[in-house]
Amino acid sequence: MTAYVSPLVALERAAIGYGGRALLEGVDLAVAPGAFLALVGPNGGGKTTVIRSLLGALPLVGGHLVRPRPVRVGYVPQREHVDPVWPFTAGEVALMGRIPGLGPWRRPGAADRDAVRRAMATVGVEHLADAPYGELSGGQRQRTLIARALAAEPELLVLDEPTNGMDPAAELATMDLLEELHRGGGLAIVMVSHRLEAVANYARALAFVDKDQRLFRVGLLEAMLRPEALGALYGRPVAVREVDGRRVVYPVNGRAGEHGRRA
Amino acid sequence: MNGLDAVPAGKLAEFLAAREIWEIPLAASILSGALLGVLGVYVVLRRTVFVSAALTQLSTLGLVATLLVEERVHIETEHASEQLAVAILFSVAGALLLGAFRPRRLPAEAGVGAAWVVASAAVVLGVSQLVHAAHDLGGMVFGNAVAVPAGDLAVIAVVAVVCVAVHALFAKELAFVSFDPETALSLGMPVRRWDALLFLTIGLAIPVTARALGALPVFAFLTLPAAAALAGGARFRVAFAIAGVIGVLSAAAGYVLSWVWEIPTGATMVAIAALFVGAGALVRRRGR
Repeated sequence: MTAYVSPLVALERAAIGYGGRALLEGVDLAVAPGAFLALVGPNGGGKTTVIRSLLGALPLVGGHLVRPRPVRVGYVPQREHVDPVWPFTAGEVALMGRIPGLGPWRRPGAADRDAVRRAMATVGVEHLADAPYGELSGGQRQRTLIARALAAEPELLVLDEPTNGMDPAAELATMDLLEELHRGGGLAIVMVSHRLEAVANYARALAFVDKDQRLFRVGLLEAMLRPEALGALYGRPVAVREVDGRRVVYPVNGRAGEHGRRA
Repeated sequence: MNGLDAVPAGKLAEFLAAREIWEIPLAASILSGALLGVLGVYVVLRRTVFVSAALTQLSTLGLVATLLVEERVHIETEHASEQLAVAILFSVAGALLLGAFRPRRLPAEAGVGAAWVVASAAVVLGVSQLVHAAHDLGGMVFGNAVAVPAGDLAVIAVVAVVCVAVHALFAKELAFVSFDPETALSLGMPVRRWDALLFLTIGLAIPVTARALGALPVFAFLTLPAAAALAGGARFRVAFAIAGVIGVLSAAAGYVLSWVWEIPTGATMVAIAALFVGAGALVRRRGR
């Protein structure tokens, strides 16, 4: 018998979209404590819309958003969405993670600064606390934004395309960091990526999202990496192989379902 | 006029002797420069410089609309408080619409540009229909800051206190939602409400200062002092102080120099504020 674990947050039969127009319907998605879920799909496929709906930042067109109890959330936006022209230091950016928890009348105190120091140390950017955010490298900015999310001491960490535009080494380093956070603190992670390969070696569950196909499918990683499931997402055969202990995902010639192979 | 290459001693003495004439206008200019300089940090960093241009035009339109109504219903005396109230109404409504709403289907610049050009055209059309007050248009648009009633100075002071209090009390929220609205929204912060509060302060400051200085210097003070501070490499919090000081210095020096050189006041203030932008860029360059 498996014990029922109450989700941190869940969408039930949700219709998701903007201005009353549903892009995706019948979305069921539950995020349990300690989950590592990656939402994968093409650019503009509605992945970000799903996480905004999950966080309550976007009203549902239909269905229900369930939050059994208040949950501390950390959010990492696409770093291209954060304007580097603002003259903040990395430490000031990280401190912003504490603001929603403070409310309008309290100012950050020693406990908040300690939380920020810990968060910056966890992601290895504590030495950059006084450096201008706009002058950091892409990878350092990404780590600073993750530190800001961790400064909120979250139970659920949500990241939107955290490895977008990174070279392979930086992408690996970022994903290794997320893996470490997930293993170390039992943090639930929900991340968005348009690159299946970036998450195929880390996530425990995958959700395929493509509003153009009206597709929303979620399941455990092993099941989702099957050729039929991948074929449904990409509309052509996709193979998954293991090379030096890592999963590699690549398209092959033919029609969907013909050549998909799994290691 | 003895040229712009020197400050004539006689003119300076004349200026100092005429204290009762310039006391209130100078105080209003300085206070306006400080207030607009501080608010300008958000205007520049949020890339909403042209929102402030549109709001100054909307504020002027409010003034012209009131003058028109007063003329059409044969109101002989000018009602300064009604004019100001309508200008505030136009500016605040414009600020909330242009600043706080982030349209999804249209680039924000399209709305701002439309508001600016429509308001500008409406001001020209409105003034063309004015019989008595048309001569005031130059002062309204380019500013003169020569005759400022004590009541206007009091209004500027009250608005300045309110704006500074709002920005001091809610500094961290206004900074966060302006810097990263997506994250703030995802973490449950009411971004639209904070945006509305920020643009409410800007929408309030513009008409009360535009009445004293004119639209052009107001637009300039919302842009140049902050641009100078940021060009000089000031950090976020320090930028407010530096922009405020630059606003004060530009307003004061512009006022005095325009008097002694007998040149337009608003344009002189703008020219001096522009010099600070160059100075800021030089400071940054030397610091590297």
